[in-house]
Amino acid sequence: MKTYQCCNNVSITKKYFCPECGGNEFVEKEVSDHGTVYSFTKIHIAPAEFAHIAPYNVVLVDLDEADCKVTTRISEDVSIGDNVTLDRVEDGAYIYQKL
Amino acid sequence: MTETYIHGIGMTRFGTLPEFTMKQLLLDACSEAIIDAGRPKIDAVFVGNFLGGSISNQEILGAIVANDLGLGYIPSAKVEGACASGGIALRQGILGILSGEYDTVLVAGVEKMKHATTANVTQGINAAMDTNSNEKHAGLTFPGFFGVLANRYFYETGATKEHLARVALKNRENGVNNPLAQFQKPTSLEEIMNARMITDPLGLFDCSPMTDGAAAVVLSRKKSPIHIRSTAQVSGPTQMQDAQNLLSIPAIGESGRIAYEKAGVGPEDIDVVEIHDCFSMTEIIAIEELGFFSRLEGWKAVEEGRTKVTGDKPVNTSGGLLSRGHPIGATGIAQIYQLVRQLRGNAANQVNNPRLALAQNLGGTGSYSTVHILERV
Repeated sequence: MKTYQCCNNVSITKKYFCPECGGNEFVEKEVSDHGTVYSFTKIHIAPAEFAHIAPYNVVLVDLDEADCKVTTRISEDVSIGDNVTLDRVEDGAYIYQKL
Repeated sequence: MTETYIHGIGMTRFGTLPEFTMKQLLLDACSEAIIDAGRPKIDAVFVGNFLGGSISNQEILGAIVANDLGLGYIPSAKVEGACASGGIALRQGILGILSGEYDTVLVAGVEKMKHATTANVTQGINAAMDTNSNEKHAGLTFPGFFGVLANRYFYETGATKEHLARVALKNRENGVNNPLAQFQKPTSLEEIMNARMITDPLGLFDCSPMTDGAAAVVLSRKKSPIHIRSTAQVSGPTQMQDAQNLLSIPAIGESGRIAYEKAGVGPEDIDVVEIHDCFSMTEIIAIEELGFFSRLEGWKAVEEGRTKVTGDKPVNTSGGLLSRGHPIGATGIAQIYQLVRQLRGNAANQVNNPRLALAQNLGGTGSYSTVHILERV
């Protein structure tokens, strides 16, 4: 997973200017895909484009090697604190799985 | 102090209204507000609306109002800020008066949603996310965001689904007494707890409904008994994964802080509140962010009944979005409608002699928030 850091602000999405300090010099760093489940939900009622895969879990993952989070989709049910990692990138989404 | 005053209010019934077009709803609310204000000359029109283009194929709402109500060749505009469209439209009206350009402004909000399928409306609402993000591609939805937030809130505080249900029950009890509310049928904690799941842990009653409806207000620099003491708006993170603290929605807190500062009052001074309970979880976060209760303790206030009409901080006496209904662009104006009636002393669920009232309107997953503080003078 690639992260972008400016001052104390770390994100997996690159901004034009840092939301904390306004700077525009970001350090790009490749970190492990491993993380722990910070929180989750199982979506039963989905928008039209995702209706065919509902219900599905959207999981907010806290990355182990960076002070930032990534929103993922996981097919298995999870609990807060579970160890997870990237399985694949599909249609622009990070598909994670339990370790 | 804005030295801007509310002179008239209007609101349609909220609910499933197949007999009315979006235009009719909008014009009904506007004409009611203009008549309530004593038919003043209107200098400009702002209309809050979100889905008119995508599911009703109808824009130019500002010009329609000006033309069909015979307001003359005056400036008008539609304002879009997702579910905060109404609150932001109101703020634009106030700023127009503060600038000196206008004396009297008509601000309205409208949405027509019930004619479309749930999947299509959900798809339309998802336009209020950052659509070119991995988060959107993962399938996150608005209820989904608040579901993720709720599960973490439970984990950190000990609150449970029953606390969410108590918010929904309180707002339904209020809706029962509001003749304009979408849901006026009593319910029970048991029915709420056992309703079908929308996005874990949020069930059907934890989520605001799709609604048809409109509301309008007339503002003026001329004095009236209802003074808009302050207006504030801020933007916040547009993605869940960028939240520094998932259990905080900084747009709500910061818009509240600015509104209090401009008004020269604090949360303890507010007598009656309408906040953006798009989901039961959101109401708990908002009462914390606005300083009515300590952070991570809003659920206790709900448990103790402090946000009921009979409590020390009555929240959503209209029934809120959960029971009054949530016609997206109209919601921010419908909040003002209820608070003006509270300050006039003729509201549904009237509280005892309120002087200061606060409205908070949220858009996106914390992308926009407005706060307005009203005062009876």
